[in-house]
Amino acid sequence: MGKANIYLLMLGLLFSVQLSAKDYKVSDFGAKADGITVNTCTIQKAIDYINENGGGRLVFEAGNYVTGSIYLKSNVTLQLNHGATILGSTNPFDYIKDKKIGWMSMIFAVNQENIGITGKGTINGRGFITANNMVNYIHRGIFEDELKLDRAREWNRPQNIYFRECTNVKITDITLRDPASWNQTYDQCKNLYVDNIYVDSKSYWNNDGIDVVDCDGVVIKNSYFDAADDVICFKSHSPDHICQNVVVDNCVGRSSANGLKFGTVSRGGFRNFKVTNLTIFDTFRSAITFAAVDGGEIENIVVDGVRSINTGNVIFLRIGDRWSKGKKPYMKDITISNVYAEVPFGKPDAGYNYEGPVEDLPRNISPASIVGLPEYKIQNVKLKNIEIVYPGAGNPLYAKRGLAPAELDSIPEMRTAYPEFSQFKELPAWGIYIRHAEGISFENVTFTALKKDYRPSIVIDDVKGASFKGMLFNEPESEGKQQIFQQKSTNVVTE
Amino acid sequence: MSKIKIFTIILLTLCTLNLSAKEYKASLFGVKSEGVTLNTKSIQKAIDFISEKGGGKLVFYVGRYLTGSFELKSNVTIELKEGAVLVATPSVYDYFGVNGTKALIVADSQQNIGIIGKGVIEGQGAAVLEQINTQIRKGYLRATATQASPALIAMNNCSNIIIDEFNLMNACGNIQSYSGCKNLTINGVTIKSTSTKGTKGLLLAGCDGVKLSNIFFETSDADISTAGTSKNISVISCKNAAGKKLQITN
Repeated sequence: MGKANIYLLMLGLLFSVQLSAKDYKVSDFGAKADGITVNTCTIQKAIDYINENGGGRLVFEAGNYVTGSIYLKSNVTLQLNHGATILGSTNPFDYIKDKKIGWMSMIFAVNQENIGITGKGTINGRGFITANNMVNYIHRGIFEDELKLDRAREWNRPQNIYFRECTNVKITDITLRDPASWNQTYDQCKNLYVDNIYVDSKSYWNNDGIDVVDCDGVVIKNSYFDAADDVICFKSHSPDHICQNVVVDNCVGRSSANGLKFGTVSRGGFRNFKVTNLTIFDTFRSAITFAAVDGGEIENIVVDGVRSINTGNVIFLRIGDRWSKGKKPYMKDITISNVYAEVPFGKPDAGYNYEGPVEDLPRNISPASIVGLPEYKIQNVKLKNIEIVYPGAGNPLYAKRGLAPAELDSIPEMRTAYPEFSQFKELPAWGIYIRHAEGISFENVTFTALKKDYRPSIVIDDVKGASFKGMLFNEPESEGKQQIFQQKSTNVVTE
Repeated sequence: MSKIKIFTIILLTLCTLNLSAKEYKASLFGVKSEGVTLNTKSIQKAIDFISEKGGGKLVFYVGRYLTGSFELKSNVTIELKEGAVLVATPSVYDYFGVNGTKALIVADSQQNIGIIGKGVIEGQGAAVLEQINTQIRKGYLRATATQASPALIAMNNCSNIIIDEFNLMNACGNIQSYSGCKNLTINGVTIKSTSTKGTKGLLLAGCDGVKLSNIFFETSDADISTAGTSKNISVISCKNAAGKKLQITN
């Protein structure tokens, strides 16, 4: 937390300059708040003018301002007053695909400093319409795209915000809605401060809550995310960069994918994270997914205080070997503590727009899992004060993975696969499955199955050093059942 | 009429490439005809697309097509059918230019381009000027900005240009400005632009091979202005609202 406090201080100091700077009304530049006029050129002129004249805030008063791609410049803050909405144009041709970034966005910033988007107003990408318009143009042959999965690729649909290589970025109080692709991406930025934002991002495929890529010095707090895709997603696109020194506090998220996610693109890695007071609900995949599948490192991660209610999975840690290109991945020093979680029998995101895809069937309810590779073990994971309530009811007639060595060995390594908690299909445990790991410690952990399950609660396979302290298993009709099963594991201590 | 026939033949010869090329309706690119949607980027996308595909005509049928500045590219002809109006946006920051001249339709170093048809290009000059003056008053534009008011057409270093038949109305700046262009044919266009001061009908600078015919000028300033360096200019049956037959001495 010391590091986080220092970042907060720095951010505070740097932004105090901006707060005293001049305010300019966008309407004074001729922008129309009629919800019809495409104001791209006018807003850009206003940003350029403020940038060239010492900086300040560009104020959007109540009204609907339509725009295509604009570039935010140094020392300019977009201030969206209560009732002000920036509406994304629904015309895909109003958006630029930035040459350096390679993606489309409504609000870009590249190589700028002291920038922000603040206020109680809204940015609404209207992405569903834009994305469908794009599909139409692709079918007509006007725009080239392979329509993989019958939709334009992510980079050919506009995000709401894409900032690259910016320093001192402040995003506060705003509402972000309905992008056509990811939502807000901060890529190789330094000192990113996100506070009290509200995100409703489930208008089209790949709608994330927030994507933080290879950033150094990040605070995300007091924010709410409802996303079709991952909620709070840290990525590492560059093998030469790393996402590091990050604080996430007091955030609530809902997703038809994962809650807190590292990856999937994970080339450089993730280091020094402290995530506190996180609530994830109605989420299709895992509340917490850390993936090192592209050669990245994951190190020194603390997650403390999680409520995970009605989520398809709770914890999924995975090392893979997808796009590593010879780089050696590792994951170590992960502490997850003070977690209460409930996994449902049914589909946790039923009824939301862009529900997650039903896949990897047949399988009974998947356990949490920590799965490395034979040569890349996940190291030093501490799970403390954790209670997970599962539905149980694993039925071997529907899907079965028994405990015989041949059956455990038949679980595929899936080195190059896209990492998801469900990827191995049926797993042999109902609580947690751990494979290829070193130094796993459980302390005061309770696993509850509401109905009898054919599987034991815990299976560990190829684990060097595991300690179980204060374990409690609740499962109907399970008297005398061995809830911890080990194979090829050494140094396993149960107290 | 025989003159028109001759021009038609010339046109046919010059436009062989274009005429044999494909026709694209503006709506294919999502261009909207209701007069409200700002079509700038869709029109630009259409032109870029047609040019990249080897050329052709971008055809606008009846309707009002609001737009800011766009660039005409090689082997693309814009056809404004009767009843089609290309409407210039009053928004001053939606214009860019070439060689120092802002314009609604801009072309720089392109070949085999044209604007044809019986439609209209409406500059909304008074509305644009009002916006410019407002922005000057607020200090966001320099006081000299009125001197850079957008023209309707500005082309630089282009060759084989056909401007044929349509109506050019109410420019904020000048109507047409051509610099360093070769083989420029302007025939049968009607220019009516008196809503702002200082609007010249046609500026030529450093052009070579200019055929002007059957043009009607009604402007608030000079009908034709040449920088003196242009050569091989012919003027046939051009007149202005005062009934004066226009001539240029090479």
